[in-house]
Amino acid sequence: MKRYVKITVIAALCLAMVITLSFIGCKKEEAEEGGMQVKTFENAGDITIGFSVWTMEFTFFQNVEKGVKDACEDLGFKYVMIDQNSDATKMVQDLNSFVGQGVSGIVVTPVDPGAIGPAVENARMAGIPVVCADIGKSGPVNALMISNNFKGGELAAEFLASKINDTSKPLGLGNLLPQWTYARQRGEGFLSKALELGYNVAANIIVQNPSAEGGYDTMQQILSAVPDVAGVYFTSGREAVGAAQAIQAAGKDIWSVGYNGDPEEFQAIKDGVLDATILQEPYYIGYRSVEILKEILLDGKFYENVEVPVDVKLITPENIDDIAAEILEKTGNSAFPAE
Amino acid sequence: MDDYRLRQRKQIFGVYWGNFGLPLIFVILVAVFSITNPNFATSYNILNNLSFASYVGIAAIGMTFVIMTGNFDISIGSMLALVAVLGSSFAPKIGGVAGVISTLLISCFLGFINGIFVTKLRIPAFITTLGMLFVFRALAFIYTNNAPVYISDRFWLYLGNGKLFGIVPFPVLLMGICYVIAYLLLRKSPVGRYIIAVGTNSKAAALSGINVDNIKILVFTLLGLFVGISAVVNSANLGSANPGLMGQNYEFQVITAVVLGGTALSGGNGSLGGALVAALIITFLDNGLGLLQVNSYWQQVATGLVMIFAVSLNKLKFYLLGQGEF
Repeated sequence: MKRYVKITVIAALCLAMVITLSFIGCKKEEAEEGGMQVKTFENAGDITIGFSVWTMEFTFFQNVEKGVKDACEDLGFKYVMIDQNSDATKMVQDLNSFVGQGVSGIVVTPVDPGAIGPAVENARMAGIPVVCADIGKSGPVNALMISNNFKGGELAAEFLASKINDTSKPLGLGNLLPQWTYARQRGEGFLSKALELGYNVAANIIVQNPSAEGGYDTMQQILSAVPDVAGVYFTSGREAVGAAQAIQAAGKDIWSVGYNGDPEEFQAIKDGVLDATILQEPYYIGYRSVEILKEILLDGKFYENVEVPVDVKLITPENIDDIAAEILEKTGNSAFPAE
Repeated sequence: MDDYRLRQRKQIFGVYWGNFGLPLIFVILVAVFSITNPNFATSYNILNNLSFASYVGIAAIGMTFVIMTGNFDISIGSMLALVAVLGSSFAPKIGGVAGVISTLLISCFLGFINGIFVTKLRIPAFITTLGMLFVFRALAFIYTNNAPVYISDRFWLYLGNGKLFGIVPFPVLLMGICYVIAYLLLRKSPVGRYIIAVGTNSKAAALSGINVDNIKILVFTLLGLFVGISAVVNSANLGSANPGLMGQNYEFQVITAVVLGGTALSGGNGSLGGALVAALIITFLDNGLGLLQVNSYWQQVATGLVMIFAVSLNKLKFYLLGQGEF
């Protein structure tokens, strides 16, 4: 037994020595490497764009991908895409793999924006610029294309106020998890505008299960907490549809607004279940992300940690057909669920 | 006589197949991907894949021990998230080294708790670890209020992103050391013999004087330790510890690697080398298909089929050794 204790102690000491020596070596190496110069190009044909997508399961990301792909085609760039399959570890592995492949620029919609920092740093050290297409960022990204979520929340509050028109009536909010820093601004904009307009948001509940079922459950909690609630805003699409169905099941007359512009929301508005939603522009986010990379790689323009806000729109039964036609024309995808 | 020779040859082939079948599949995969995509066989890509294989590979060591005793643990994904958020939140206050040590101690303790429930309270491992899966994840959410913990400690980040002498990614080195120590423990120490004995026949092991409960508690604690190491490496790779997103489906990936590697779910029989090669196959397959721009749904189909194929080849080994039907 003594022998094994001795072996374990020696092994632990050796490991500690290896870590210490290599850590010291690493510090020296990093100090020598220096800045994050971008490698620029003269011919578009020499440029390859790598796109790392959260998942291709949702229409939102399919439209981002279409935007990225179309922009690459239009600008004469080569294009490679890897699906993160909603896995943060795979996302980082894929981003490192792009560096190994020697892509010229990277567009990423990160499943976990807090987790891309070291991978972005790795890419930047290799002279590869990185643009985040929505969701959020960490690390030294060149740019982040992000929907103007705060304004979206304000639009939702203004819509509810215009319909209810009575400041004594309470409002409800189905909010996002705190980890979604940027998307949480959808709720902050709503709370700020509601306060400005003189309304009381009596219930502000986080949807713990981000799904239609989660929205349904949260709406039931809001109904229990504030039985006379006159209007609710849910900060994500599927949750909003679930909440609107809970309102219908309860037989109440409550105004409801969602966020995203998912096909389920379009259908729910068309069916009169949901009253409105805030539309993001995923196709434009994808397309513009590649244009920014073009400006960096071909035109030598300087982008460093720049946030580019993308406008959002209010969709109501009055304008839904026009906007659906516009989406179909731009992206080739129907705004409504596939038959 | 002919029958005897045939049986003998089958057995010899079975032994070789058992030892080299899985590595052969790995070599074939690497060869196919190297031929079909010039970006696959670069040293950068290979080292990147080896580094990420450690995420599953290190915990697979502990899971091999646990499965060898006839148990399994499905709480490790949540355990990974909990110890990562706890340790990384301590690091700014107590320093990176102490933060890492505290992560490992906490993860050992959580594994120990699982072992106590399974042995002393006689709750089946499936029920215990299913319950703990919810408890650990919920504690991670409560502790962080659902917000990710960002890691800035250089030592911690180095453990996932550093390179030894500027070449070998540190997770690869760490995984190698873990496998060597685990091999010595399993094959060269009495503890390893006790683990195999408990898994083969726990009643016989108890009759021969082995404290079966202590061995089971030990393997759950060891699994906790290896999950703790994976938690440090993984959170360093990601630069943050996210209570909701870390370790999702982790238990599934680790158990897949162990079973694919030839460890029987019924216990007793186990292979550390097999688990390592299986972890490499899973990682390289994923990367190779991605480089070939295979649609992610087809990737899942291909991964599933390769796994079924690999496990069926494992069955072939038992058939050739005369230990089962094919």
